[in-house]
Amino acid sequence: MKEHKPKIICFLCKWCTSAGADLAGTSRLRYPPAILPIRVMCSSRIDPAFIIKAFLNGADGVFIGGCHPGDCHYQEGNYHTRRRFAILKKVFDALGLESKRLKLSWISASEGVKFARVSNEYTEKIKSFGENPTKSNVFL
Amino acid sequence: MSKKIGVYVCECGPNIADKVDIKKILAEISSLSEPPERIIITKKHKLLCSNEGQDFLADEIKKNELTHLVIAACSPRDHDITFMNVCKRTNLNPYLYKLINIREHCAWIIPDKEEATEKAIQYIRAGINRVAYQAPLTEKELDSIPDVLVIGAGIAGIESSLSLASEKRKVYLLERTSSIGGKVTKFEKILPHQGTNLDIIREKIQAVQENENIKIFTETEVDKAVGFLGNFEITLKNIHNDDQKNEFKVGAIVVATGYNLFNPEKIPRYGYGKIEDVYTSMEIEESNSKTGKILLKSGKPPRTAALIHCVGREEKGYCSRVCCNYMFKIAQYLKEKRPDIKITEFYQDLCLPNKADQEFFVDTKNKEVDFIRFKDISIKQKDKEKFIEYTKTDGKKEKIPAEMIILAPAIEPAAGSEDIAELLNISLDEMGFFQEAHQKLNPVATSIDGVFIVGSAQNPKNIPDSIMDAQAVGGKILTQLIPGVKLVPEVTISEISDAFCTGCQTCLSVCSYGAIYFDEDRNISVVNEAICRGCGNCVASCPSGAAHAKHFTSPQIYQEVLEAIR
Repeated sequence: MKEHKPKIICFLCKWCTSAGADLAGTSRLRYPPAILPIRVMCSSRIDPAFIIKAFLNGADGVFIGGCHPGDCHYQEGNYHTRRRFAILKKVFDALGLESKRLKLSWISASEGVKFARVSNEYTEKIKSFGENPTKSNVFL
Repeated sequence: MSKKIGVYVCECGPNIADKVDIKKILAEISSLSEPPERIIITKKHKLLCSNEGQDFLADEIKKNELTHLVIAACSPRDHDITFMNVCKRTNLNPYLYKLINIREHCAWIIPDKEEATEKAIQYIRAGINRVAYQAPLTEKELDSIPDVLVIGAGIAGIESSLSLASEKRKVYLLERTSSIGGKVTKFEKILPHQGTNLDIIREKIQAVQENENIKIFTETEVDKAVGFLGNFEITLKNIHNDDQKNEFKVGAIVVATGYNLFNPEKIPRYGYGKIEDVYTSMEIEESNSKTGKILLKSGKPPRTAALIHCVGREEKGYCSRVCCNYMFKIAQYLKEKRPDIKITEFYQDLCLPNKADQEFFVDTKNKEVDFIRFKDISIKQKDKEKFIEYTKTDGKKEKIPAEMIILAPAIEPAAGSEDIAELLNISLDEMGFFQEAHQKLNPVATSIDGVFIVGSAQNPKNIPDSIMDAQAVGGKILTQLIPGVKLVPEVTISEISDAFCTGCQTCLSVCSYGAIYFDEDRNISVVNEAICRGCGNCVASCPSGAAHAKHFTSPQIYQEVLEAIR
């Protein structure tokens, strides 16, 4: 059987996690090609509908990276992200989507190593879950 | 209308060229062309950010009459602005361009060339799909006023005013009390070299008073402040007479409201206000500076003195940073007046953060001042004798007599800080000091552009740190508000559609900047373009889909996501 190559959408806030991902690159760290970055100004821009849509269209995982609590470039955007994320997990469960495929992580501009580590661990986890079953069972 | 999208891949020397198969990328991307709706032109270049590379891009944009531009190269943090400027120079709207980072996100992290190439293609495809949905945006220009309002005429406010005032920039210096100079004027000497304080302060006060570009208002408070960087409308009022008002406009506001001392009466074990000859450090400074003497109530100089640091430190939850040093100074005052005086300083932790502090501490210690680290401490009176009862860090309980007791109360935010925070729409931290935009990276700015904090309004500070703040703010304002130069506010901001807004005001509750106001007449929320920073929080929170983030619209992000996972 051909190995499943997961596709993971990774929303990065411009100020912290995106810079952390850049640092992972400039430090020549290794993490899998499955991580597909989408840059936004702030993690609070991420409408939960983006994530649902990504899943319904076949993403195997969605990973949101924001500034650490207290470090948001926009004061408290990441606190709003955190609340929305908690609610989204419940919505996922209610809809029969797999909330275990969602990830939220705080990664600062100086945490290239953390970005690479989280990306590696998360990709491994998604691989172990196999293909996103929603892809073949669209019900919405 | 048909779209002509140029996709240019940068080799970045060997950085990208060696790690991904650029030839393959170009071939695959070219095959996405769907004439006549979407024509894709692809090319590679050795180094697009070089002058030669920029000229090459400009030529390509003009020659091919590109409607959109995608560059696959490095991080937007490196060259987004470079390529936006190339767009501007060729009259392609810079918001119709997108930089895809195939270096940090592909070339440098994936050792397998084939895998790296595959990801780069996927990533560029997503970018092309996004750029096709991007819309042109126009930068606006706003008139700005270079003048500045400084709230508080202590050392931080005075220095701010002096760094800013010039022929082309008026400073309005506001003081709640009847005279300028602040608490520093009460000190007899300035540590660590014990120079006479008044010389330095008098010079500064005089410079402010003589400067015709600084207008001083004493016994005055801010009544109203509305606006944004470059354009605040200010109303001041006299504290004794509400009708006596002054109105003017400024471009920036500096909050220099300083500090108050914690009231030690709140902790009864120190005996302040109940036991005779228990003083605060400020009372000793004032007495010394006015009369040149430090005496007991009885009129005699003390033979023994206990100097207690850290009063209110546990209650407040922070170290006030400056007290250790000034308590050494007070010990030296007492020694100068009566060399045989027995002095004991009680402390919980010594705070010696500045380069001259250690030497000053050793110098004080060498003048036969005892230092005792305590866990608990209280002041007791029996008949006419006063005692300091204390538990040392090893748990041993001891007591010593003292004729004079001097307390170093915690430094707390100035009274009225809440009112100023509310007027200016800035926040206070959990300790009640003004909250900086970023503790480490932007300590003199606030969440509101154009409102700054200096000195102890932000954190307990000594004189040099307050001066440093004032000069830093001077630098910030001088570069942000240049007389005659217009301001270009953020372009990628939120907008709220009149037609879709239901007036629920959810957006108002999530905005950290107060950038959205509610129009009562039309029953809709409206974005103030000069204040919005474009985080997009209101957009994600809007239940009716009325809010949009320019350049980060939902269709743009959807298109990018869908193509990335296709």
